[in-house]
Amino acid sequence: MDSLALPTCEPLIRFCGVALTLGGRRILDPIALDIGRGEFVCVVGPSGCGKTTLLRLIAGLYLPTEGQVLYGGKPVAGPRQDIAIVFQDYGKALLPWRTASGNVSLALEALGTPRAQRPARIAALLAKVGLAQHADKFPGQLSGGMQQRLQIARCLAQEPSVLLMDEPFGALDAMTRQALQDEVLGLAASSGATVFFVTHDLEEAIYLGDRVVALKPNPGRVADMFEVRLPRPRDQLATREHPEFLRLRRTLFDFIKEAEA
Amino acid sequence: MSASRILWFAASILVGLCLVAIWQLAADARLVSPVFLPGPDKAWAALERGIASGELLDKLLGTVGRMVWGWLLASLLGIGVGALIGISPAARAWLGPTLEFLRPLPASAIVPVAIAFLGLSEGMVLAVIGFGALWPMLLATVHGFAAVEPRLYEVSRALGLSRWEVIGKIALPNALPDIFAGLRLGLTVALILAVVGEMLASREGLGLWILLSARAFRAPDLFAGVILLGLVGFASALLLSAVERRALRWRLPPG
Ligand SMILES: Nc1ncnc2c1ncn2[C@@H]1O[C@H](COP(=O)(O)OP(=O)(O)OP(=O)(O)O)[C@@H](O)[C@H]1O
Ligand SMILES: [Mg+2]
Repeated sequence: MDSLALPTCEPLIRFCGVALTLGGRRILDPIALDIGRGEFVCVVGPSGCGKTTLLRLIAGLYLPTEGQVLYGGKPVAGPRQDIAIVFQDYGKALLPWRTASGNVSLALEALGTPRAQRPARIAALLAKVGLAQHADKFPGQLSGGMQQRLQIARCLAQEPSVLLMDEPFGALDAMTRQALQDEVLGLAASSGATVFFVTHDLEEAIYLGDRVVALKPNPGRVADMFEVRLPRPRDQLATREHPEFLRLRRTLFDFIKEAEA
Repeated sequence: MSASRILWFAASILVGLCLVAIWQLAADARLVSPVFLPGPDKAWAALERGIASGELLDKLLGTVGRMVWGWLLASLLGIGVGALIGISPAARAWLGPTLEFLRPLPASAIVPVAIAFLGLSEGMVLAVIGFGALWPMLLATVHGFAAVEPRLYEVSRALGLSRWEVIGKIALPNALPDIFAGLRLGLTVALILAVVGEMLASREGLGLWILLSARAFRAPDLFAGVILLGLVGFASALLLSAVERRALRWRLPPG
């Protein structure tokens, strides 16, 4: 990545006293949070504590009522093409009238990729998420896991510096979920993208993240952060049996139970 | 086609044939005076005669042309204005009340207005068809544009689609199923109004042919015209269905 642009100590994304009030209701109390370039940050917390809201602030879909979200040192003023979002409800986030190829193509069209270059790029992206065989199928003909893969392929087409993922695997079965976790880890490692990953699943957060941010509700605020000192690449069996994994899992479970009490 | 569909198709043909047979029997038994009700044999003969002489073909082309042009006019206007209203709250606010006032007006009510402005001309007939067939298209388009999944708007923002791309690549395809429903309804209305318009303005076409045949007690000719009209409606609906199936094939079940 362009290591010259910023000194490595400067975070890529910085929340400076960001607070949000929607419709007279305080959703987020002032938040201070730094996310480093290339970092994999997972966010957990009880339902309604503002995880999605935090993600939307980075995406520029919401603008803070107080403070600023800085991206590369500049305030986020709206969505930008190098920040990609993987939505939880893949069924609604794909265009049902376009084939898998067509859905990936949409991102390339938005980027202004010349028509002649698109087919090769699309084929490569679909192959990367294991959908090469299904290029001509419509989303309605794909399984949930495949649809989510397709959404990820579309996001990768943006060649994003930041990948925002909002409970992307929440609706998938355990096997598919684990396969996709490893795929996302692989993609993040190979692209060097910064990942902001919202999840309900504490184990998923520990398994994936460099850091786990825990939020507290009413109004939403950062309750605590946990560094995840687990070796990479992660492994579904070895990592989940690692003493550090078990220790973190215990800590986080206790923490969440306390927060919900 | 699956076996059950073939069976249904065969059954529907059979029902049609039965009705024709009953018609023939009723005519042969002279249940109704042959002056008013000729048998299908006589109607068919009249149809053949009219087509052979080229006379009925001319009328057919006149009516179909009117229907198609009026329908296209209504479609363009309906989809264009509908898209505008669907996409822009300002346009909805400005145009909404006017449209709500115009919409319930039956097309027949604006015929005198159209005659006053355009005379008993081809333009008048087209205007009436256009007005009548406009509403199904307009309302369907507005609905289709307004019913875009909000998530898709967020997706387009995140991808950085331009406003025009959002309209052309998200809103319009999203409205397409509704638009097709509108096109189908509009087609029916257009055929009805083409016939009525011809009768009123004395334009060459099947409608006028039917009217004049009735006045001259040429019942077989009258029925030949009615049969042709039925075929026009049937064929145009079939054609539209084929286009629709192709355009909306993403909605078909897997396979
Ligand atoms: N547009 C909005 N207007 C008003 N309130 C909102 C809006 N969006 C979210 N909220 C409120 O903000 C709070 C945080 O919502 P958010 O969706 O960020 O929670 P979450 O942590 O993602 O929850 P979940 O785990 O259920 O997805 C909730 O109480 C929600 O009701
Ligand atoms: Mg959420």
